[in-house]
Amino acid sequence: MSEPSAPSAMETWLLRFGTAGALVAMLGRGKRWWMVPLVLVLLLVAIGLLFLQSIHYVAPFIYMVF
Amino acid sequence: MGVFRRAWLTVASEFSWRMPGRPQRLLAAFSLAERGSMMDMLAAVEATTRRDMRRKYFVHALDEGRHAKIFADRVRDFGQAGRADAALEDSGQLLQAGIVGGQTLFERFGEEKFLAFVYVAEADAVEQFNVYLERGLPDDATQATLRTILKDEVFHVAYSRAEVEKLRKEGRAVDKMCRDLRLARVWERYLRFSRDVGSFMSGIWLTILYFVVLAPFRLLARTEPGGWQPAATPGVDRLAAARAEG
Amino acid sequence: MPTYVLGVSALYHDAAVALLCDGVVVAAVQEERFSRLKHDASLPVRSAKWCLDRAGITAAQVDWLVFYEKPLRKFERILTNAVATFPRSYGAFPRQMRAWLGDKLWLRGNLCAAFGVRPERVLFSEHHLSHAASAFYCSPHDEAAILCLDGVGEWATTSLWRGRGSEIEPVAEVRWPHSLGLYYSAITAHLGFAVNEGEFKVMGMAAYGVPRFRAEMDPLLHLEPGGGFSIDMDKFSWHWHASEAGGAKLQAILGPSRFPGTPFTPTAAPHDGSPSEIEECQRYADIAATAQDQIEDAVLHLARHAKAAVGGDAICLAGGVALNSVANHRLAAEGPFADVWVQPAAGDAGGALGAALWVWHSVLGNPRGPALRRADIGRDTPIARSREILEDLGGRPEDVGDSAPERAAEDLAAGRVIGWMNGRCEWGPRALGHRSILADPRQAATRDLVNQRIKYREPFRPFAPSVLAEAADQYFDIPAAASAPVRFMLSTAPVRDAARGQLGAVTHVDGSARVQVVDADSSPDYHRLISRFGELTGVPVVLNTSFNLKGEPVVSTPVDAMASFTRSGLDVLYVDGLRVERPR
Repeated sequence: MSEPSAPSAMETWLLRFGTAGALVAMLGRGKRWWMVPLVLVLLLVAIGLLFLQSIHYVAPFIYMVF
Repeated sequence: MGVFRRAWLTVASEFSWRMPGRPQRLLAAFSLAERGSMMDMLAAVEATTRRDMRRKYFVHALDEGRHAKIFADRVRDFGQAGRADAALEDSGQLLQAGIVGGQTLFERFGEEKFLAFVYVAEADAVEQFNVYLERGLPDDATQATLRTILKDEVFHVAYSRAEVEKLRKEGRAVDKMCRDLRLARVWERYLRFSRDVGSFMSGIWLTILYFVVLAPFRLLARTEPGGWQPAATPGVDRLAAARAEG
Repeated sequence: MPTYVLGVSALYHDAAVALLCDGVVVAAVQEERFSRLKHDASLPVRSAKWCLDRAGITAAQVDWLVFYEKPLRKFERILTNAVATFPRSYGAFPRQMRAWLGDKLWLRGNLCAAFGVRPERVLFSEHHLSHAASAFYCSPHDEAAILCLDGVGEWATTSLWRGRGSEIEPVAEVRWPHSLGLYYSAITAHLGFAVNEGEFKVMGMAAYGVPRFRAEMDPLLHLEPGGGFSIDMDKFSWHWHASEAGGAKLQAILGPSRFPGTPFTPTAAPHDGSPSEIEECQRYADIAATAQDQIEDAVLHLARHAKAAVGGDAICLAGGVALNSVANHRLAAEGPFADVWVQPAAGDAGGALGAALWVWHSVLGNPRGPALRRADIGRDTPIARSREILEDLGGRPEDVGDSAPERAAEDLAAGRVIGWMNGRCEWGPRALGHRSILADPRQAATRDLVNQRIKYREPFRPFAPSVLAEAADQYFDIPAAASAPVRFMLSTAPVRDAARGQLGAVTHVDGSARVQVVDADSSPDYHRLISRFGELTGVPVVLNTSFNLKGEPVVSTPVDAMASFTRSGLDVLYVDGLRVERPR
């Protein structure tokens, strides 16, 4: 399935930002607007998680520091 | 390389077998590994274009399936029927252990490297079992089991070695392939370990986050009541609504 | 230029893909049949590749890829729930957040990367809408009430819709955490079975019991006067516990839960357990019977409200609970609708087909097409490859060509148990004569033989019969409203008293059977097989169980078939027109 129409790494991150924005917008519109700050914190955590997943072989060393 | 591996196996096996409760876990892990191996061999039967290899892979797969049952039966002898059944039937465990998922071995490696992998993996297994047998681990019944399985594994090593030798005669760099594969196996075990460490630590951080960040919002959230609730009617622009992820 | 819509379901249970070309199903396949991992939920890349190859197109030619639910709404529900059940949900929260923040939230990007489709071509349906679409658009009805019942989608666990032509309008829904599917799963877990596997076993176990725990269990599942229902969430923990559905409070009402794997020896089954073991097993059977009774009452209750709110003669069902064939029978027999229609892949896999059909009819505005009359819309293998595989694997196949159904019938009449692989794979969990293990249904001993030598299932579980459409009424009492679901083996029916002696292997302890009615138009080869068997034995019924070994998905290719054939006690294997006999 690796064809020219598959997105590049940059495009994937842009899509993710789009998803994050859609999530915040959806919550802001509805009755559960109070979740927006909570979700913003979780999105920050998500950045960390996604980053770590891509270099997870360093996880034991990072966590030794923390 | 072989000396280090042997030393590691000798030391590790002491811990593996002698700790209470470990033998049945190890045997279940062997059962799971054999089952994963069977699935990889059957995938090779499907994917290979070499008609002469199909039956060899198939017989190998049937052996691995039989071994998985034999190991599971030993686990049952320890009184752990649930663990034995899970090893034989649960897909989740196979996925979690990283034995399957994503591409099959044959898809990843292609025919030649796959054969080299089979040879390396079977040879390592034979070595591992031999260490256990020499040290008399863990008990007589398991020793008998290992001996039965070893007979088949020796045959697997033989046929895969024969195929690898054929490749060598054709001029392929098989020694390098085998060396790379051995290193890759060690690296992959490290990756699984680091993934587990990462999971564990992120679990701790997320739990801390849970108690610190969620608490203030507690009173704002309500569980929905039961019974019929009105359902939202869709808007006019169907395509725009369909594009939305939420 | 034809329009291709690719429907995808994944990430929770049973990943699947359905490909439509101008609204017609090209293929619909479940990922587990490719990866050989039961209930595989990972993104169904293999399934998609097979479907696209089958249609002769590449990913670039797919006009729309539609995922069967809205991921952000699901995430909203999970997060809201975590806050609402604070602090008990501390165990579930880390695992859920790791899964979502690390992967599931970024679905749009993942779909583009995995399937090679541009982001502007990716659409998202809604979970229950996908179920509703899969039921309604596949049915022959121009107008119908649609009822979807499952564990949970984004927020809805039960939903009612009005289907009219190409349109599906929402009417009402019951929301998380009140869920019939999760209620049944909680009872399943209490009775010692794995969730999402064991629900069928609870259904089978229920026939051994009587619903004598109504007084204790009715407060748990309360049917509301307005037509919906609510659950006493105080007694359950699926909304906050990481893995358990019903905890100590449930055990306080029902007694101790059954330890997985213990033998089930109630009074009606052959046994040699001690009196206290028998009594305990009878209690489990009675709990199962009560829960089953409650689900049936709930379905009838919801259906009556559907009739009042939507009207019409027909009801279409989907969602995991719609696979409860005993409840479907009761709905057909006692419910207010003249016709019940159930989607063969009523669970989450069916959502892939539903989502695709929703895009074609509702979003793109196309008119309805013909109903789904055949379930064999999955994977097949060219005969040349089958022959090559069977020869290479040492099967020494005999080319019986077009006479395979008659030869198979002769094998069955001679007392052999056969693996029958014919044509395209079935869509949905039931084997309907394309990937089936078949046997003579007349002696009870055959059931034990199939259980012990091939399927290795718990002895209390029944096997199902397939009967010719022309003879169905002679052997089974099928209500008129169930005439559609029985074609996909989605409704039980009582075996007629006169026939029970002839169908010993397929009649369950309560005299019912989950029968499949086979007509010559939908399954020509299977119909011929059963006809010939009827000629030879006088009973045009066969025992039909899915062609797979325990813990494995249904076989899909000749390699799978040979592997399952060799590893089990099957006597003969048929792969299309090729016959393989076990060497003596």
